[in-house]
Amino acid sequence: MRGRGDTAGYPRNAWYALAAADEIGAEPYGTRALDRPVVLFRATDGTVVALGDRDAHRPYPLSLGRVEGDTIVSGYSGFAYDRTGACVRVPSQEQVPYGARVPSYPVREEGGLVWVWLGERSLAERRLPAPTPWLTDPAWETFGGQWETAANIRLLQDNFGDITHVAVVDPVLAPPALSGVAPVLEVELTETTVSFHRDWPAAPVPGWQAELTGGSATEAYPQREEGAFLSPGLWADRWDVVLPDGTQTFRFTHAITPVDARHTRHLWRVSRNFAPGEHATATMRPMFESYYRKVREILETMQQVIDRDGYGEDVNVAADLAVLQVRRIMRRWVADEG
Amino acid sequence: MTTQPIVREFEADLRVVEANSGATDVVVLDLAAPDGTDLPPWTPGAHVDLVLGDDLVRQYSLAGSPADRGRWRVGVLRTPDSRGGSKAVHEIAAGDTVRVRGPRNHFPMVASPRYLFIAGGIGITPMLPMIEEAEAAGADWRLVYGGRSRSSMAFLDELSAYGDKVTLVPQDEAGMLDLDGLLGTPEPGTLVYTCGPTGLLDAIEQRCEAWPSGSLHLERFAAKAVDSSGDEEFELVLARSGLTLTVPADKSVYDVCKAAGVSVVGSCLEGVCGTCETEIVEVDGDVDHRDSLLNDDEKEANDAMMICVSRCSGRLTLDL
Ligand code: FES
Ligand code: FES
Ligand SMILES: [Fe+2]
Repeated sequence: MRGRGDTAGYPRNAWYALAAADEIGAEPYGTRALDRPVVLFRATDGTVVALGDRDAHRPYPLSLGRVEGDTIVSGYSGFAYDRTGACVRVPSQEQVPYGARVPSYPVREEGGLVWVWLGERSLAERRLPAPTPWLTDPAWETFGGQWETAANIRLLQDNFGDITHVAVVDPVLAPPALSGVAPVLEVELTETTVSFHRDWPAAPVPGWQAELTGGSATEAYPQREEGAFLSPGLWADRWDVVLPDGTQTFRFTHAITPVDARHTRHLWRVSRNFAPGEHATATMRPMFESYYRKVREILETMQQVIDRDGYGEDVNVAADLAVLQVRRIMRRWVADEG
Repeated sequence: MTTQPIVREFEADLRVVEANSGATDVVVLDLAAPDGTDLPPWTPGAHVDLVLGDDLVRQYSLAGSPADRGRWRVGVLRTPDSRGGSKAVHEIAAGDTVRVRGPRNHFPMVASPRYLFIAGGIGITPMLPMIEEAEAAGADWRLVYGGRSRSSMAFLDELSAYGDKVTLVPQDEAGMLDLDGLLGTPEPGTLVYTCGPTGLLDAIEQRCEAWPSGSLHLERFAAKAVDSSGDEEFELVLARSGLTLTVPADKSVYDVCKAAGVSVVGSCLEGVCGTCETEIVEVDGDVDHRDSLLNDDEKEANDAMMICVSRCSGRLTLDL
């Protein structure tokens, strides 16, 4: 449970988002998570089914086959599997081969994301995903994207745990407050979560935000940053600007899923409680998307450096306190899984 | 203005929604947020602090189900030699408010196909969520639960549902726990989890010496006796803060960090709760691990230490 080794492992007993809900329909959706192939599809009652993406007969992905009602049919063998993964039909004989099946995984659809539990099954209902009500609450407007980052999940976590990098990576997007010396970081721990906040001194909002809301780009307003590691696969951060007539809040949600030790699926969402409407979204989406792409590129470069030269003795600074606590919890999850 | 970060644990005033007598001298408290919101998640083996007064903080294992996010349950034994903690808890009634800190877990359940749980008296509390999880996972497990007498043993109702996986050993009927019978032959692949009075834990620790390393997991809520007469001062380097300090013979690393304005978390300050665990960057000399948490392998690895009690014979560099 202690010690710095095993920096590449990840916990299996956690809910991970494998896809956005609107990516899953009656067409099979093949993906990978936790070093395993997974196929997702929607059954006739609208619920999402998650199965192992490999025909039990021959090594051929079920995702290359088709969905028929509540079954998925291999595009090679014609074996059909029901939502529990049991093989229910084979073309060549009357008798279904005894015990033929593919793995099936518990699924929950929440906040427009498809969460799948790939670990010890009995724990799935006992460790429900943390709620993210803002992703579906009409008081919040949300946009986002998803892609794979060729980096270990911990590199993504290190990044979310310290926002002081934003001002360096993207000075235009970053709130001007971030370019000063960071105020005291306050971290709150529980057994399995780390949350933190900073109250930034009054500063103007970025030019683009002022423009969108018709506000001032020079007036200084108090701002507050919050971040939370809620589970190995979920971060929820927020940024508040306290204006005289109410608080403008961004919520940033990052669902991250280890594909393998060097790849991580990243589903990011940006929600806001101000500047409603398509116009504001159309302005902001490309800015955030370009920022998250830059982050992806940077993390992929870090992974290449690690692959080439190994993990180093990184120097940590005061701002890393939350990151170090997250690493401690991640190490423990991995160790406890034996 | 300092830019040193501040770290603290979740802390809240919780309402006692139920207070029941679990057995002779045992009170069972169910705690919930006054506004009914979910409490932080936890896993079997976790404990919380009850803050009962300015200098009265006690650790109690969570005995309910981690799946119940609305409530935390603790079971408390009134002890005759109590320093006041258990007496204060026994005075708590339904409707009262208690300050609670945590949860934290230094007794985590490591995945295993087989478990042997041994509980002595009120040490049954962390075992309840553990056996619930072992049962759900389909693990092969048994619990041996000793106590003075049936009437002093709490949670017998809950345990009766598990049938013969649970062996009750009330001392007045069945004598002492047969530790030689239980642990005499090492069983590779079985993890032993135990909690109870110090004498029992010491006896179990001794019998498990022949077991594969890592087999025994135990939790002590009483500090080990430490001889501090030979303590000497040593040099302390805080890597992230860039500070070099001196720890005098009569002060702990924790105290010295606090005095220097470095935010450290502590709770029990006697090496039993694990709150103050800190990573070691470098040791020049020997670390004297005086806590009741790290096992021998972990002490030898010198990756981390409990800075409220443990010391060093030379220069110590910590990740602070
Ligand atoms: S040989 Fe086919 S079932 Fe036995
Ligand atoms: S504060 Fe409890 S172990 Fe150090
Ligand atoms: Fe950083």
